[in-house]
Amino acid sequence: MAQFDEKISKDQFEPAIIDASTSERISKPSLNYWQDAWLRVRKNKGAIVSLVVIGILIIMALIGPSLSKFEFDKQNTKHANLPPRIEALENISWLPFDGTRTLKNGNVVNPYEQKQIEEYYWFGTDALGRDQFSRVWKGMQISLYIAFLAAFIDMVIGVAFGAISGYFGGRIDNIMQRIIEVLSGIPNLVIVILMIIVLKPGIISITVALTITGWVSMARVVRAQVLKLKNQEFVLASRTLGASHAKIIFKHLIPNLAGVIIINTMFTIPNAIFFEAFLSFIGLGLQEPLASLGTLIDEGFKSMIAFPYQMLVPAIIISVIMIAFNMIADGLRDALDPKMRD
Amino acid sequence: METRKKLLEIKNLKQYFNVGKPNEVRAVDGISFDIYEGETLGLVGESGCGKSTTGRTIIRLYDATDGEVLYDGVNVHGKKSKEELKAFNHKMQMIFQDPYASLNPRMKVSDVIAEGIDIHGLAKTKEDRMNKVYELLETVGLNKEHANRYPHEFSGGQRQRIGIARALAVDPDFIIADEPISALDVSIQAQVVNLMKKLQKEKGLTYLFIAHDLSMVKYISDRIGVMYFGKLVELAPADELYNNPKHPYTQSLLSAIPLPDPISERSRKRKTYDPKMHNYQADESVELREVSPGHFVLCSEKEFEQYKK
Repeated sequence: MAQFDEKISKDQFEPAIIDASTSERISKPSLNYWQDAWLRVRKNKGAIVSLVVIGILIIMALIGPSLSKFEFDKQNTKHANLPPRIEALENISWLPFDGTRTLKNGNVVNPYEQKQIEEYYWFGTDALGRDQFSRVWKGMQISLYIAFLAAFIDMVIGVAFGAISGYFGGRIDNIMQRIIEVLSGIPNLVIVILMIIVLKPGIISITVALTITGWVSMARVVRAQVLKLKNQEFVLASRTLGASHAKIIFKHLIPNLAGVIIINTMFTIPNAIFFEAFLSFIGLGLQEPLASLGTLIDEGFKSMIAFPYQMLVPAIIISVIMIAFNMIADGLRDALDPKMRD
Repeated sequence: METRKKLLEIKNLKQYFNVGKPNEVRAVDGISFDIYEGETLGLVGESGCGKSTTGRTIIRLYDATDGEVLYDGVNVHGKKSKEELKAFNHKMQMIFQDPYASLNPRMKVSDVIAEGIDIHGLAKTKEDRMNKVYELLETVGLNKEHANRYPHEFSGGQRQRIGIARALAVDPDFIIADEPISALDVSIQAQVVNLMKKLQKEKGLTYLFIAHDLSMVKYISDRIGVMYFGKLVELAPADELYNNPKHPYTQSLLSAIPLPDPISERSRKRKTYDPKMHNYQADESVELREVSPGHFVLCSEKEFEQYKK
């Protein structure tokens, strides 16, 4: 106990300095919304892997057709239905790239040797002897075109329609919402079939069909968000300062909607890609000799038992695209949603 | 009293919602009062009685159903050209209730504060603009470094001060404070109210202070108006209203204030107010009457005689 009795001299103390300016200081580094979101996207491994996968697929779609020695629409019936064969990988027995295929009775044959073909078809050839490798990446280009088209339509028509409808309200809103209901009431497939009557089946009729209906869900989401935001006090404050409608929409509403818009777009993209593939699969989409992942799957599907690789490769690629886009969308939603802020 | 200049005259202001429909709401039902230059007029009343709607209608966030708002003798409602509106926005500003909703989360504090400067073109160069922002930040007791931060990094009291700085940016003469302290912690309330008092002294501002905290209203206001269901029932200088309430609703409201004294608190009687107790006849005209100099009460002719005694 003796140690507690020790006298502590006054000069050991120093008065604390209470300074208002230091108490107002914030030590945390300043991050804006996007830096903050990127920190959280980075934590999501699935989204990052998907981002890389999509990046690789986009690069392959752009350079893939020219990597192969064969044109995507060059027919060579002598080389029809060849299995995949890749130069260095053909000697690794467990990889399916050795140019052999198994017949129904279990015999393994090598059509390249039977027909004495020197060329290497990396993903094999189809029933008309066209190089599957360049056809797959050509099809991928179509899917990417659809993806960007859908994103563009969503961001431009959907956002503008929803923002105007929600912001001005009243009779304008009423009329615009009835238009949306009419549009969403007609099934997409019916619109495409009607388009085909007027136009030829192909990329243009799909583009028109997507333009007519693709933005409806985005317009609804944006309208709902605008309705929520437009009576927030920061918008009222801007109005009392005398800001114009355009300024309020572009400076206050759209930046606050950015997260929702991006998330919605990312979820629309895989749907649009699948829509195109589906139309091509049932024969309403792209026509020969153009290739899309849908038509490739359709052709491969006809000889699925004999030549499974013809369907497998495009099917795997479209699945990978869809999964990757969905995972990115998921990661972005977690990152951009302010309710998840930690 | 009469020698002071009237800055704002509100005449028979009405604000109805859903007019003509079964769910018509008469949020503000014909109120009239004046605000003198340099004073603080407190506006109190229970939730939903139309205090905030009155404030928002005065500043044109809603289009008034009927009535006039004269600012310096000029009617500010009705169709206006863009220039007239800008001049009006320049003079009248508003401080909002919720400090968490009143700042755009995607804008830096400097942009929030400079919004009015940009709209009205008050700064010629970027440097000039930033200097004005720094000056405003210092006026409300914040630092220069805060200009590059985002609103979510601040506390409620700090945000409310940013909101005040935004309103001050256009150098207004008249500020409507719509429950500026009700969302804040009690210790911070004093900070914000004292800041507002200091600014009033320095810049000669006029306030319409909307609140439901009676003790805070008494502290800041020169005169107090009491609202009940869209009507102004009593308007008097602050001390007069507290010491000598005439209208039964005001008496009821004042009797609800708890006292920090257990002995008197035990004997405090809560008066209730029932609008039926007036028993107004159809032919009686109920209006604001001046019972003593500067003290107005909503009453009928008969009650007026009683109140005058």
